[in-house]
Amino acid sequence: MSANQILVFSEKASLLRELLGKARQEADALGWQVAAVVFEGDPAAASLGSAGADLVYPVPPAAGESPERLLNALAEVARQAQPAFILMGATKVGMEAAASLAERLDAAYAPWTVRFQIDPTTCAATAQCMLFASSGMATYQFTPGLVVLTSAPGVFPKPAEVEKTARVVSLPLAQPQGRLEVLGSREKVRGATSLEDARFVVDVGQGVKQREDLALVESVASLLGGQLGCSRPVSSDRDWFPEWLGLSGKKVKPDLCLCVGVSGAVQHLVGIRDSQRIAAVNNDEGAPIFNQADYGVVADLYEFLPAFSERIRARGLRPTWTA
Amino acid sequence: MKILALIKISLDVAEIKVDPATAQLRLEGVPEKVGNIDKNTIEAAVRLKEAAGGTLTAVCLGPASAKDSFKDVLAMGADDVTLIEDPFGGKGEPGAVVRILEAAVRKLGPFDLLMAGFASDDGYTYQVAPRLAERLGLPLVSYARQLSLEGGKLKADRDLDDAIQTVQVDLPAVVSVAEEAFPPRRTTLMDAIKAKKKPVNLWTAADPLGLSAEELAKNSRLASSSQIGIVVHRKGQVFKGQSAAVLADKLVDALVEDKILKGGA
Ligand SMILES: Cc1cc2nc3c(=O)[nH]c(=O)nc-3n(C[C@H](O)[C@H](O)[C@H](O)COP(=O)(O)OP(=O)(O)OC[C@H]3O[C@@H](n4cnc5c(N)ncnc54)[C@H](O)[C@@H]3O)c2cc1C
Ligand SMILES: Nc1ncnc2c1ncn2[C@@H]1O[C@H](COP(=O)(O)O)[C@@H](O)[C@H]1O
Repeated sequence: MSANQILVFSEKASLLRELLGKARQEADALGWQVAAVVFEGDPAAASLGSAGADLVYPVPPAAGESPERLLNALAEVARQAQPAFILMGATKVGMEAAASLAERLDAAYAPWTVRFQIDPTTCAATAQCMLFASSGMATYQFTPGLVVLTSAPGVFPKPAEVEKTARVVSLPLAQPQGRLEVLGSREKVRGATSLEDARFVVDVGQGVKQREDLALVESVASLLGGQLGCSRPVSSDRDWFPEWLGLSGKKVKPDLCLCVGVSGAVQHLVGIRDSQRIAAVNNDEGAPIFNQADYGVVADLYEFLPAFSERIRARGLRPTWTA
Repeated sequence: MKILALIKISLDVAEIKVDPATAQLRLEGVPEKVGNIDKNTIEAAVRLKEAAGGTLTAVCLGPASAKDSFKDVLAMGADDVTLIEDPFGGKGEPGAVVRILEAAVRKLGPFDLLMAGFASDDGYTYQVAPRLAERLGLPLVSYARQLSLEGGKLKADRDLDDAIQTVQVDLPAVVSVAEEAFPPRRTTLMDAIKAKKKPVNLWTAADPLGLSAEELAKNSRLASSSQIGIVVHRKGQVFKGQSAAVLADKLVDALVEDKILKGGA
């Protein structure tokens, strides 16, 4: 159908809009079309035009039931629509689908893309992608041909809404099949609050020794209207919180992140490095967190945190984010 | 039951330093070992082997010098290791890596289960398991957290972003394990002694797989690639050596200066 089309998919509605916004920009520069793959009956489908989609291809809802069915449906859409470029969301579902789809379509593949460009004359793509668990960045220049890329939530901004309706194109698709039998599914426990929107985050590491000690950390958080996040071992080994910050966890971007008893492993820093300011309390002067923080305090957190609260109260200070 | 488990010799990315002036990544001297995720992969595989009987072969594409890096893996319960010397010295494209691993597991097969980590410690690209499953034409059970064999089928809990999904599949199949899902067991001195007798077989891509680096590179879709490190721009002020109250005042001063805290006298 169209060799000058960017095909976009994410099962996550907000991420799909971010990807469509970026695809629209590229498509405008090239005079290309943007198409989104959606599940049939998705009420948001028609409004995807406002995020930049020219077309939407509905796939049977059964495609959402297992990774194999999703892959089979996406591969069938790609076979019929013949996009020149495929952009997918870097969720767990998306990362699996994208890698297998690239292999099936014999396309070039790169995950964790933060920027990409398509050359208007050669149609060859260049992509910048996170490397080594986000300690580095790679630039790949591809030869002309189909390229599949994935991008994480928040990499591309939410697009401004445009006045546009996407045309729904129903491709002749069979019910997607698969060999995995799904026996059941249960929702995960979520953190009560939306950490991603917090202006102040107290980041709890393994230096906080016992669960009872969280009261001390919480008192600092509540004094400044903040929320608690933690490192992976605090969640996965100790089970104090359902989610953690970092490479494989949540990413936050508060005005201030206060790390207490966090060593500063790169995989953890990835989750907090978009903070405007990072302050860290650690009793080991050699802890790597001090190289990554704006303000480092070499102290025992059990002595420092009460003193910190006391000084703020005594000086009658409050954070700018409370009215 | 025959199980193959893919394990990667991974860089400890926490030790990768970035030259602040040039943004070059300093990779020399960064420690390399079997990745944490792949210790989990081995643990998951050993548990299935213990439950169902059979053999477990670990498969690694890595430097020949890694021959002595598998003591833990063998002590945990792998029967042997096939180490394929990486013709690209760790710099191969994933597409080529997947083709070599495919050839190796076909050579070692037929197998019931092929297991891998969901993402390697250093690459963290989530791609080897899905791409291999696709090339082998086998179903993939990704992000597995619980695994059991029932009536010849594999049952698994898949750890997704928002949900845990339980699935079942006929063998043979490919499984990728979720992070921290199978904490590796502690091994005993006895395990270590037994491990010494277990073989680490060294293969090359050419022999016995019949692959050449030049041929594999022809599939490349890269015209060029380059890499840089991410340089952080932080103030890096450190307060130390004073009483907690003084240190607290210093941090508070800094936050007032930054207009993060306000008010007061
Ligand atoms: C592939 C991969 C992915 C990963 N993903 C993530 C991720 O997403 N998120 C994540 O967090 N980690 C992740 N990790 C783990 C990461 O590498 C670190 O192991 C982890 O972040 C360390 O957590 P921590 O800083 O809480 O604990 P530790 O490293 O144990 O640090 C504790 C710190 O507390 C300090 N301390 C102790 N007592 C006190 C005291 N009284 N006062 C002040 N300071 C004190 C110590 O000096 C130390 O620096 C990942 C690892 C891998 C291999
Ligand atoms: N060179 C390799 N040798 C053996 N297994 C590998 C290799 N590279 C990746 N794998 C396997 O694939 C998983 C995911 O790696 P990746 O897709 O590169 O993030 C790892 O956890 C290993 O199980």
